[in-house]
Amino acid sequence: MKLNIEGLLVYFPYDYIYPEQYSYMLELKRTLDAKGHGVLEMPSGTGKTISLLSLIVAYQKAFPLEVTKLIYCSRTVPEIEKVVEELRKLMEFYCKQTGESNNFLALALSSRKNLCIHPEVSALRFGKEVDGKCHSLTASYVRAQRHSDPNLPACRFFEEFDAVGRQVPLPAGIYNLDDLKDFGRRKGWCPYYLARYAILHANIVVYSYHYLLDPKIADMVSKELAKKSVVVFDEAHNIDNVCIDSMSVNITRRTLDRCQNNVETLQNTIHKIKETDASKLKEEYRRLVEGLKEANVARETDVYLANPVLPDEILQEAVPGTIRTAEHFVGFLKRFLEYLKSRLRVQHVVQESAPQFLKDIFDKVCIDRKPLRFCAERLQSLLRTLEIADVADFSPVTLISNFATLVSTYSQGFTIIIEPFEDRTPTIANPVLHFSCMDPSIAIKPVFQRFQSVVITSGTLSPLDIYPRILDFRPVTMASFTMTLARTCLCPLIVGRGNDQVALSSKFETREDFAVIRNYGNLLLEMSAIVPDGIVAFFTSYVYMENIVASWYEQGILENIQRNKLIFIETPDAAETSMALEKYQEACENGRGAILLSVARGKVSEGIDFVHHFGRAVIMFGVPYVYTQSRILKARLEYLRDQFQIRENDFLTFDAMRHAAQCVGRAIRGKTDYGLMIFADKRYARADKRGKLPRWIQEHISDGSLNLTVDETVQLSKHFLRQMAQPFRQEDQLGLSLLTLEQLESEEMLQKITQIAHQT
Amino acid sequence: MASLSEEVLLVVKKVRQRKQDGTLYLMAERIAWGPEGKDRFTVSHLYSDIRCQKISPDGKAKIQLQLVLHTGESTTFHFANDSSALKDRDAAKELLQQLLPKFKKKANKELEEKNRMLQEDPVLFQLYKDLVVSQVISAEEFWANRLGDLNNADPTVCNNKQEVGISGAFLADIRPQTDGCNGLRYNLTADIIESIFRTYPAVKQKYSENVPHNLTEKEFWTRFFQSHYFHRDRINTGTQDIFSECAKQDEKGLKSMVVQGVKNPLVDLLSLDDKSLDEGYGVCTPPSTSSSSRTVKESSNAAIIKRFNHHSAMVLAAGSRKGEAPTDQASETSSTDGNSRDSDFFQPPVKKVKLQEAIEYEDLQRGNGPKTVALNLKKSDRYAHGPVPLQSQHYTTSQDIINSVNYIRHEMANYKPNLTQVVSSTAASSAIAALSPGGVLMLGGAQQAINQMVPTEVQGELKHLYAAAEELLRHFWSCFPVNTPFLEEKVMKMKSNLERFQMTKLCPFQEKIQRQYLSTNLTGHLEEMLQTAYSKFHIWQTRRMMRKT
Repeated sequence: MKLNIEGLLVYFPYDYIYPEQYSYMLELKRTLDAKGHGVLEMPSGTGKTISLLSLIVAYQKAFPLEVTKLIYCSRTVPEIEKVVEELRKLMEFYCKQTGESNNFLALALSSRKNLCIHPEVSALRFGKEVDGKCHSLTASYVRAQRHSDPNLPACRFFEEFDAVGRQVPLPAGIYNLDDLKDFGRRKGWCPYYLARYAILHANIVVYSYHYLLDPKIADMVSKELAKKSVVVFDEAHNIDNVCIDSMSVNITRRTLDRCQNNVETLQNTIHKIKETDASKLKEEYRRLVEGLKEANVARETDVYLANPVLPDEILQEAVPGTIRTAEHFVGFLKRFLEYLKSRLRVQHVVQESAPQFLKDIFDKVCIDRKPLRFCAERLQSLLRTLEIADVADFSPVTLISNFATLVSTYSQGFTIIIEPFEDRTPTIANPVLHFSCMDPSIAIKPVFQRFQSVVITSGTLSPLDIYPRILDFRPVTMASFTMTLARTCLCPLIVGRGNDQVALSSKFETREDFAVIRNYGNLLLEMSAIVPDGIVAFFTSYVYMENIVASWYEQGILENIQRNKLIFIETPDAAETSMALEKYQEACENGRGAILLSVARGKVSEGIDFVHHFGRAVIMFGVPYVYTQSRILKARLEYLRDQFQIRENDFLTFDAMRHAAQCVGRAIRGKTDYGLMIFADKRYARADKRGKLPRWIQEHISDGSLNLTVDETVQLSKHFLRQMAQPFRQEDQLGLSLLTLEQLESEEMLQKITQIAHQT
Repeated sequence: MASLSEEVLLVVKKVRQRKQDGTLYLMAERIAWGPEGKDRFTVSHLYSDIRCQKISPDGKAKIQLQLVLHTGESTTFHFANDSSALKDRDAAKELLQQLLPKFKKKANKELEEKNRMLQEDPVLFQLYKDLVVSQVISAEEFWANRLGDLNNADPTVCNNKQEVGISGAFLADIRPQTDGCNGLRYNLTADIIESIFRTYPAVKQKYSENVPHNLTEKEFWTRFFQSHYFHRDRINTGTQDIFSECAKQDEKGLKSMVVQGVKNPLVDLLSLDDKSLDEGYGVCTPPSTSSSSRTVKESSNAAIIKRFNHHSAMVLAAGSRKGEAPTDQASETSSTDGNSRDSDFFQPPVKKVKLQEAIEYEDLQRGNGPKTVALNLKKSDRYAHGPVPLQSQHYTTSQDIINSVNYIRHEMANYKPNLTQVVSSTAASSAIAALSPGGVLMLGGAQQAINQMVPTEVQGELKHLYAAAEELLRHFWSCFPVNTPFLEEKVMKMKSNLERFQMTKLCPFQEKIQRQYLSTNLTGHLEEMLQTAYSKFHIWQTRRMMRKT
């Protein structure tokens, strides 16, 4: 249908529309009009992606000079591919309606592992191996060497692309990862480099967060993207953690040992080169004196070692003299390494700030701040000069130099913690130096500064106001949308007591309590008897799940559950879990029914949807608080309190509730779907916890369902499931939660729609 | 004595049957007993007739062996030799145990098949009762030409039966019970054993390797329940255990499953992340690699989790093993070349479909699925809580009903009288007259009155008579043309059967009707049919006589 969103003609590729989609588009348009940032929460399964795409594409078509590009960031590869497929649907609709052929170029970008078509390289299993192998075939000096010795192996796809691929722009169209590979095979071009090149002139780019947030990658991939772009972070509820991860470094003793080897290799190589080809080193020295930046041309294959700090922090001056010659630099690295080793020899936990660390290093080994800041860049130059083929081997020394640059660049927002052993095993020495970022706003700041509109959106962003605070930006729109429902297809229940009135809770004091564990077991057992098909249960942590499973096994609860359904359990091993997941789906599919025991914050809770019969009930055992004894977390909480005035408890609860909401939200993926959401912990009933759930879940929690026993839960669930099992037709929804164009345009409905968005 | 040529497998003397001393013979195909001093058998059963054997409990004074036949009759032998009664009985039992299954399968199958046919087909059952039980014709005759098509249809009928899966909790069903004196009792049934074998082929292999030769069945299962294999939470340490190998095999199987990966790309956690952080970056520390730091308890917990995953996977696989065979092959071929480039070519279809499924909003599109009729519930509570009768019903689908209603509506809407081609008024009035009550065409309606005239029980009986008569006549007519001596014989027999039928069944029925003063020509048609058969028979017979003379 064609919509009129405040004067903008929007093509929407469906015959009907949800009211909240319309409302969402309104808010989104306002954000774009204001050229500002926005935070929008809309329940999953209400067609968020297609609303976003429809509006932004329409905007791009209407104002091609205002918005030149859409950068859509998602989290997982399947998500990325889904977005592109939805986009394809939209574009097909455009073609059908307007009769014009599509002149939009949209493509997905992923790592080499997902795009490589070289027969040998793509056969490798791990991303890192693929990257390393690719690099060894395509690095600029490898190719330069090939001029003299044509027998060296080459990647014909890259050569072909390099020879002709750049002259002809990628024809307009929608390219998913597989389409890129097909295209690459047909033309004989490398899809990965083709995609990287094509994103510069594409209208829509879909890729993962890292390409924008991790400075090490962002610098080489996304540097030249136009400022007049709209950036969308979908599934952004964890964006702060992604930011923090991309800036943090851990150094163990093993890293240092391997680093030692690296440094020795470097030294030997320098010696060798000095004997054979001293001019190379001299040339490098000369370049460094002049402070020449590396020319970007013909170097895109080399940028594996980008600077770990953000672009605006990189010093625009020449490398200081103390580390300019190769030998001096290696000596410098050695000293730094020895210093780190001595720091790891401590017997007690040390926590210090970056300036303290710098002062100490200056006192002990006389290393200045300035050469440290150039460490990463200097190493980059050296590795290139020495023409090291396999960079993957040098990852430890790269890590150390990145750490050096980071620690000397940022005096705020980071902390250094040295732990001589793990808390659980105090007798085993395993020293680790954590250099951890505590301020997610550091990594995302350049994104907000650079692009005119950044939209952060997800199904669970409650409470909305916390994101602008921890990411330090000023949104022009903040809105939370509810799900308009013709029937209440979600049923959140809070189970606070067992049948024996024992309070159910995963809190630390009662964690090992047999009565609680038994009651949890009973809950699962009873639910397994009444819920059809699939049940997913989430625990607060892996260790907790292991313990509970073991005691359920001893008490025979699991065996009783097996009478009703098969049991599958998440393990730390991703491959094993994938298999369990597939079998779980198979068991749901063939009608046997199954239970999946899983962990909040685990991979399953973040990336797998349980649509329809794959998840008719989600049980959340306990409140998924993060492990609060960790020193890194404590430091972060302290920082949040000092810098952003966010109380520790508020943040912890916020973090726990967003994960709980993610877990239970996995079961509802649309208005025709239905599912039970069972919160099995009495603490959920408290206002401070409940209030932090997304509005679309919160509004269905009635006062009567706050502190149920297991029996009451079973009764309510039975009733709910029977009601839901009735046929649900389009006509039932029409006019309420599903609108035709005429209905949408009626005065009354427009009135209602304005109430859907909950402004904060 | 005919049985002399038979191979005698076992002879047991001093066996009493009906308080008569005698000798028991076990032969290749039958078991027989003859009283002492006489050289003929008073009891003789083919093994295929025997359903099962029962023995008296160990403590009993009388040592007996009972044979239960498929017909339900039973014969009891009492082993009376004072010194070796028990041994004799056990020898006979053992031998029977080996012999019976060989014959059982064939006999059982046929018998079961017959039984099933009778149960599923009430008409046939009635026929069977009328003809066989009242001894008009013998059972063999009755089945003779049924089983022909039965044997053809047999395999398909059997295959239509759905494979029964395995209960996920079969291991839970053998929860041990303490027997009061510091021991445990496990109750094993044939079903459970079957489940164990199907779920864990490794155990089956062990069983077939070990069972009669090295261990008795009992020992085998005792060891099984004691093994670490069964109690997975105990950490496997000893290697003497015969099941430790099974555990290893399971492990291997699990690994190969994991290596094979998953077909659905949306659940593949390995390829979920686009770009993982390099080693050393990120907030979380890498998990400590030293496995020694794992406590015993932790690794036992991990073992339990592994076990449950494996168990569920095996149960699932056992249920669908048959159907999956071809797909397995396909995945094998793709995995043997192990090239991810190849798997690319396999993957897209699955992936495409899954992606399309994932982005579909069925309610946003104009519905084009099959229309259904919604259940209009006035009191939904009653629907939700009331009893639900279990009945299988045949009904037309709602789609059909809607279609036909629509069709009729359409027809009616488009109906246009074609006034130029109407019938003439005289023809029309005569047609109306013919169709009104009493008219020519409505005479047939009078016959419907039989429904009301004759009581239902008589109707039922009549039906049965018809069915029986038709069956006999079918046999009779199928003999023509009579060109073999066998058929000649049969036709003679069938004629006498028909006559017998008329005498024993039809005549009493006629008398009964007469007694109830009902119209006698109810059986007229039946008699007519029989007469036709008789006259045919006479013609044939006279012709034969003429030919002979």
